[in-house]
Amino acid sequence: MIEGIMIGVNTAFSGYNIIMVMMGCFAGTIIGMLPGLGPMSAIALMIPITYGFDPASAMILMAGVYYGAIFGGSTSSILINAPGVAGTVSSSFDGYPMAKNGQAGKALAIAAYASFSGGTIAALFLLVAAPQLAKVSLSFQSADYFALMCVGLLSIAAFASKGQFLKAMIMTAFGLALATVGQDSLSDITRFHFGNINLMDGISFVLLVMATFAMSEAFMIIFKKMDISFKASDVSKEKLGSIKLSKDEVKEMVPVVGRTSVLGFLVGVLPGAGATIASFLAWGFERSIASAKEKLKFGKGSIKGLTAPETANNAACTGSFVPLLTLGIPGSGTTAVMLGALLSFGVQPGPRLYVEQPEIFWSIIISMYIGNVVLLVLNLPLIPYIARILAIPKNILVPLVLFFSVTGVYLISFNSFDIYFMAIVALISLVLRILNYPMPPLILGFILGGMIEKNLRRALLINDGSFSFMWERPISLTLFIIMIIIVLLQIYQGLQKKQN
Amino acid sequence: MTINYTRISALIFLLFFLVYSYLAGEIQVFAFDEHADFNARTFPKFISYLGIAVSFLTLVLSRGEDDEPFDQFEWLKVFVLFVLVFTYGIIIKSVGFFLSTNLFLLISYYYLGVRSYKVLLLCSFPVVAGLQFMLHGLLDVYIRDPFLQFLGVIS
Repeated sequence: MIEGIMIGVNTAFSGYNIIMVMMGCFAGTIIGMLPGLGPMSAIALMIPITYGFDPASAMILMAGVYYGAIFGGSTSSILINAPGVAGTVSSSFDGYPMAKNGQAGKALAIAAYASFSGGTIAALFLLVAAPQLAKVSLSFQSADYFALMCVGLLSIAAFASKGQFLKAMIMTAFGLALATVGQDSLSDITRFHFGNINLMDGISFVLLVMATFAMSEAFMIIFKKMDISFKASDVSKEKLGSIKLSKDEVKEMVPVVGRTSVLGFLVGVLPGAGATIASFLAWGFERSIASAKEKLKFGKGSIKGLTAPETANNAACTGSFVPLLTLGIPGSGTTAVMLGALLSFGVQPGPRLYVEQPEIFWSIIISMYIGNVVLLVLNLPLIPYIARILAIPKNILVPLVLFFSVTGVYLISFNSFDIYFMAIVALISLVLRILNYPMPPLILGFILGGMIEKNLRRALLINDGSFSFMWERPISLTLFIIMIIIVLLQIYQGLQKKQN
Repeated sequence: MTINYTRISALIFLLFFLVYSYLAGEIQVFAFDEHADFNARTFPKFISYLGIAVSFLTLVLSRGEDDEPFDQFEWLKVFVLFVLVFTYGIIIKSVGFFLSTNLFLLISYYYLGVRSYKVLLLCSFPVVAGLQFMLHGLLDVYIRDPFLQFLGVIS
């Protein structure tokens, strides 16, 4: 393990990869700041740029984009009450009132220090937890993997659906169905290609991500007449005020950071949960344990109210890498996109990754720490300048996002069919999003589809076609019980909603 | 049972999964694989059962409380942008990356209301040239471009 860490340190601290982290954090901050464009769009837009990179550098860049986007989302939440990312919605509860009271600079500094602390503590947890979990997961068999992936799909449908579990399940099934287009991995039989040569290789993952997130998001901005631009004066340096914190304010933050970083990390590790749930939980948790006097401050500019979600969302981002790196199963929509990117580089995450490719495994983990330092040291002082991106009008931004999306897909195949197909998929996903069909379950279903089929095939063949593996192996049995609990909880919530 | 947008979409999904199920049954498998415990048809069949079940439940249980009225949105603008992306896809190979992308950007900006020539030019040519230089010059990603080849900018 020490040797692996040293290789990782060596890789992550190379000049080239430090530039990657800085670029990722910077680009992520800019994209994450723009309302509507979250970390998934940001990472999707980065994929074409990483084609010429080695997998470790590409993943370091994308990880930088991920936490940069979360940091950027906090900035727009605090400054203009327009969260760029769902995971930073709860940061606006107390961050925006602080900004309105003339303490925008202080609020941004709290967000930056809390994010840094949360990310750093979680990176240390990851350093310890990931190899342990990787060792445990070596005992997993196909049946267990199949069950684990089903839990992942069900839980992301449950958490991402905002009370629309059935719609999320339709999207999961739709994603799985799209994954079956093209060649079957075992028999080489082509399925659902309708005689079209362009579909014989299957649907490109980048195409689907770009179409459902970046391109449909750009369409959505126009479609809903969203006013996303703000006056440059709203984010000027004069309006931000000081970024210095007093000793008392730091004292107030410290215990909150300790509690919510643990909470955020644990929530992030759970499949399907992630930064959004972690930040809401942390805000609610801190409010519930606060004294009656402090409770009144929540929602009106409380330091604890801002520290909690900011720490938790960054800790959760780091935590979501645990299932991705150790089990090869993404815990959130964003890590699903990263899994797709890893697979396109020919890297299969899972328990063997940390043994066979330690430079990728450890350099990602160590780069997270570097990323947190970059966000604190570089991005915080630059915020007044970076925030000017919010002043870009939508009639400039939308064509640029469309252009980057199209270019990203075109560069993979140099095939015009992919552009037509992408535009159609973007239009369909726009309509689905208007109808409240969530997109992360579709992406996760699409990415896990091939792996689920492979593991189900193995499990069934080993068991002579019997589904008895579901209750014969303790790990599978536990996971299937969790699945039943998730479904029952959704039914219960649905019934309760109907009664209300 | 009242009709709402969610029910209509659920019905479309139900039809989709029914057709998918039928097509899954039509997948040609090898003769020795026909009665195997798992063949190329098995997984699509399972997916179709899941899809049919959840879309049927949505169709029956949905009350369309969260549906937004469709007529308040900018359909035309999105459709025009869609056509522009589509046209961009058609001309990108024949005209080349540089010219087609600049045309796409200029027309899109103009259609969305940008009238300043300075903005139009600054937000298109330098952006495209910068990206093309990064891809072609720095990352060694070759983009075929007949127009730039004609001008002798790239070989």
